Amino acid sequence: MTKKETRDRQYLNVTIVTHSEGKDMPVNFKYKKRHDREKPMALDVLLQAQETKLPDLAFRYGCRARNCGVCTIDINGLPRIACRSVVRENDKLKAMSTLPVITDLVVRRDQISRQLRGKIYRNSGGNDLNVDASEDYHELTSCIECYACLHNCPMHQKNSIDQSESNESYEYGNPFSLLKLQTIVMDPVSSNSQKNDAITQAVNLGLDTCLNCPGCKCGIGIDLKGKVVDPLITASKKIADEQF
Amino acid sequence: MRISLVWKQYDVLVVGSGGAGSNAAETASEMGASVLVVTKDPLSASDTKISEGIATVRASGSEDDTEDTLSENLLLAGGDLPDANITSAFARDSQMAYDKVRANGLRPKISAITKNPDPLPLPMGGHTKRRSIGHKNSGVAFGHANWNSIVKDTKIDYKEDCWLVDIITGNNKDDTKSIVGALIYDAQRGELLAVVCASIVVASGGLSTIYFPKTDTMRGNTGDSYAIAARAGAELVDMEQIQFLPFCLTSPPAFEGLLGGEPVTASYLGVLRDKNKKVILDGVYLRTRAECSAAIMKAVEDGRGTKNGGAYLDMTANKKAPKSGVYFMNFLKGSLPSAYNNVRQAMSKSEAQCEDLWEVRPSAHYMMGGIRVDENCRSIGGSEGLKNNGILGLFAAGQAMGGLFGANRLGSTSLTEGAVFGQRAGKNAAHHARNISGMNPLNKKLFMEKAKKVNSLIGQKGHLHASRIKLSVQKKCWENLGPIRDEVRLNKTKLFISKTRKKLKNVKISNSTKWNQGLIEYLELENMIDTAELMAIAALERNGSLGGHVRADCPNISLFSKPYSTIVRFVNNGVNVARLPRQQTEFKKLIKFKFEEQKKFLGAKILRLMPMILKDRVLEKRYKKIMNIQKPSITVQPGSVEAAFGDRKIL
Repeated sequence: MTKKETRDRQYLNVTIVTHSEGKDMPVNFKYKKRHDREKPMALDVLLQAQETKLPDLAFRYGCRARNCGVCTIDINGLPRIACRSVVRENDKLKAMSTLPVITDLVVRRDQISRQLRGKIYRNSGGNDLNVDASEDYHELTSCIECYACLHNCPMHQKNSIDQSESNESYEYGNPFSLLKLQTIVMDPVSSNSQKNDAITQAVNLGLDTCLNCPGCKCGIGIDLKGKVVDPLITASKKIADEQF
Repeated sequence: MRISLVWKQYDVLVVGSGGAGSNAAETASEMGASVLVVTKDPLSASDTKISEGIATVRASGSEDDTEDTLSENLLLAGGDLPDANITSAFARDSQMAYDKVRANGLRPKISAITKNPDPLPLPMGGHTKRRSIGHKNSGVAFGHANWNSIVKDTKIDYKEDCWLVDIITGNNKDDTKSIVGALIYDAQRGELLAVVCASIVVASGGLSTIYFPKTDTMRGNTGDSYAIAARAGAELVDMEQIQFLPFCLTSPPAFEGLLGGEPVTASYLGVLRDKNKKVILDGVYLRTRAECSAAIMKAVEDGRGTKNGGAYLDMTANKKAPKSGVYFMNFLKGSLPSAYNNVRQAMSKSEAQCEDLWEVRPSAHYMMGGIRVDENCRSIGGSEGLKNNGILGLFAAGQAMGGLFGANRLGSTSLTEGAVFGQRAGKNAAHHARNISGMNPLNKKLFMEKAKKVNSLIGQKGHLHASRIKLSVQKKCWENLGPIRDEVRLNKTKLFISKTRKKLKNVKISNSTKWNQGLIEYLELENMIDTAELMAIAALERNGSLGGHVRADCPNISLFSKPYSTIVRFVNNGVNVARLPRQQTEFKKLIKFKFEEQKKFLGAKILRLMPMILKDRVLEKRYKKIMNIQKPSITVQPGSVEAAFGDRKIL
C-alpha cells in the first residue's frame, strides 16, 4: 500500500459550511478516523472539528440517540439527523436550508412552534381522560420534532424565510404543524368543537397547498401524507360541505 | 456596551422547558401569574423527552397503595436520606399531577377492567405495589405533552436559545435574601435580557455532561441548575449522590456512553471480566449498580481495563445453556428494548447474540441530590427547626431539586417527580409573586454590574478555548469524581478546579453578540466547574460508600447507622459543608428488609453452584415464569432498582 493510500484510509474529507453575520464560509475538514473501518456519524465529525480545527463551531445536539430531534442539519442538501447519519468522503455538512441560520449550523426553530400558540389543547382539562387512543394517534406522537419534513414543503416555502426579528411566527404551516393539529383530531379525549377547531386551523395555515403536492417526507418514517395531510383534507372538505 | 440590554418584567421566571419547567409554567400561568420560560435547548427537548417514559402513579395498580406505602418505599430505597415531607408530597400528588400531564395529550393504555391507566404487570424493583405506567413512544410522548402545555397558553411567554447567566438577589432588612430577577443571554437575538421578577423556578436539569461522553443523557446537563442556585447563595443537598449505570457502551464514538444493559439483564449467569478474561465480579444480576461500576473502575485502575477503559460483561453462559439459552435472548431483547437496540447497532453480530463478550463502562445517568428545598419547592437553608433562611422567591423542581431520592432512586419516579414538583413549584412561585408585600425598589445597578461582566467577556482576548477546557474538565471529573472516589482523587479535583478557574481570564471569545458559541461554552464551563467543586466537597464529607457514592478508601456506611445528608453552599472564601441529620426508618422495618435481601442472595448462590443440567432446568422454569407473566414483553427502566436487584440491598 502506498503512503497516500494509507493516509486516505485514516482520514475522511468533509466540508463544513460555517456561517457568521449572514455569510457562508465552507471549511475543509479532515476527520481523523479512530480505526480504518470507522464509519463516523455527522455528529462525530462536528464534535471532532470543534475539538481540533474549529473550537467555536456552533451546532445543536442533545441525546445522540435519535430521540431529541435537535441535531438536524443538511448533508449534501438533504435534511439528516446528525447523530445517526453516516458521513462519506466529500460530504457537505451545512445548516438546514429550510430555516433561518443564526450561526454556523444552528438554525432558528421557534417560529414553527409559535405558529400554534394558543391553538392547541385549550380547555381540555374537563374531559374524561380514561379513553384508549388509536394506533394512529400513537404514530403521530412518535414525532421527535426534527423538522426534516420542512424540506421541499410547498406550504412552508410560501413563508419568507428571512432573519427579520419581527418574524416571530410563520404565516404558512408545514407538515409538523399539521401533525400537531391532526393529533388533536385523532385524540379520543378531544371534543367535536376542539377537533373542528384544529381542522380550521389547518386550513388557515394553508392546507389547500397540499392538494397539488405529491406528499411529504418524515425524518423518522411517519406516514405524513396518509396519516396527517389526507385525513385533514378530507375532514376540511366535509366541514366545508356541511357549512355550504 | 457591545451587547444591548433589554428589560422585561414578569411575576415568574421558569428556567428550563422539560418535565419540571413545563409543568411549573402551566401551573403558574393558571394561577394568574405572568410567566416567562427560558430554555437553552429547543422547547421540551429534555431528559424527559429521551427517557423510557414510565411514570409512577400511586394506587394505579391497587387501591391499598396508600400514601405512606409509597413514601416509605422512597425513603427505604434512598437510605433514609430523602426528606419525609418531600416523599409524602410526591405520594400525595402523583395521581393529580399525572392527570394534568394527560390533559395535555399523554395517552396511556386504559385497562378494560378498571377503566383506568394500566400499570406494568409487576411492581418495579423497590416498589412494593404495581404503580409504574408505561407509554407508547416512551419519553417522546411526554415531550409532546410538555410542549403542548407551554405552547397552548398565549399567556406564557417563552424564549429558546437563552442561557441564564446569573440569578440576581437583594438583601432584606432581616438578613435574608430575596429574588430580584435574572440576567439572561439570548443567543438567538444577540441581547442580554434583564428579567425583573419576584419568583424564579429553577428546572434546568442535571449535571451528567460533566462526564461527557460517559453519559446517556442530554448534552445540556452542564450543572446549570446547581451552579446558578449556589452562586445566588442557595444550599445544595446530597451532591455526592449521582446514579451511574454500569453497563454502557464504549464505542464507536456515536454510541459511547449510551445504555447497553442493566445488572438484571446480565441475568442469572452473567459475570464481569477484566482484559485478561479473569472474573472480577460474579452474580452480577444481584449486584448494585455501584458495585458493578466500582468493580469495572477498579480493574481499569489496576491496569486490567479493556482498550476503551472498561471491562467485559460476559453473558455467554446464559446463551450457551441448552434449554434456557433461547429464553435468555428473548428476556434480554424484551426487557430493555432501547438498550438492546443500541447494542445491535454498535456491536458485532456475535456480540449482540451474546456469543462474545460486551465491552462495557459506567455512564452518568441521574443526579439525585440538588437544590435544597421543602415540599413546596421553596429554597430552604439552615438547620432543621430553625427559621427558614433560604432565598425568598427561589424554587426548584425536577432533577434540579434534592431531597426526594437521597442515595438511590426507584425506577419510574423521575417523570412523576418532574410533574409533581413542577406543579408545586409553579403554584408556590405564583403565590409568592402575588403576596410579597412592597417589593424592594428596583435596583438596576445589580443588573448593570452583571451585564458589564458579560459585556467584558465578549471580545475577550486570550489563547484558550472554553470548548477545549470543557473536555479537560470532563476527563478529570470522570477520573477523580466519577463512579469510584477517594480522598486523594477528590483533593486532586479541588486543585484542578482552582487551576481551571484561573484559566478563564485567558479564554478567547469572539466579538459577535449573536449566538456567540465561545461565550456559550464559557458560561457552561463556569457552571460545570462550580458544580464539580460543590460535588467534590460533598463527596469528601461523606467518608463512606453509600448509594451512588463509592469511596474506595472508606468502608460502606451501614443501613443501621444514623443517616445524614450533606449540605454544601458557596460562602465568600470557598465552600461551606455540613451534615444534616435525617430521620431513621424504624428498626423493625430495616431488619425485615435486610432479611429478605439475604434470603435472595443465598438462593442465587445455591443456583450458581448447581451442575449445568440442573441449573439449565431451573433457569428454564424461571424464564418461562417471568416471560409468561409479562406479556408481551418485560419492561425494565434504566436507572430503576428493578434493573439492578442489588441496589435494593444498598447501605
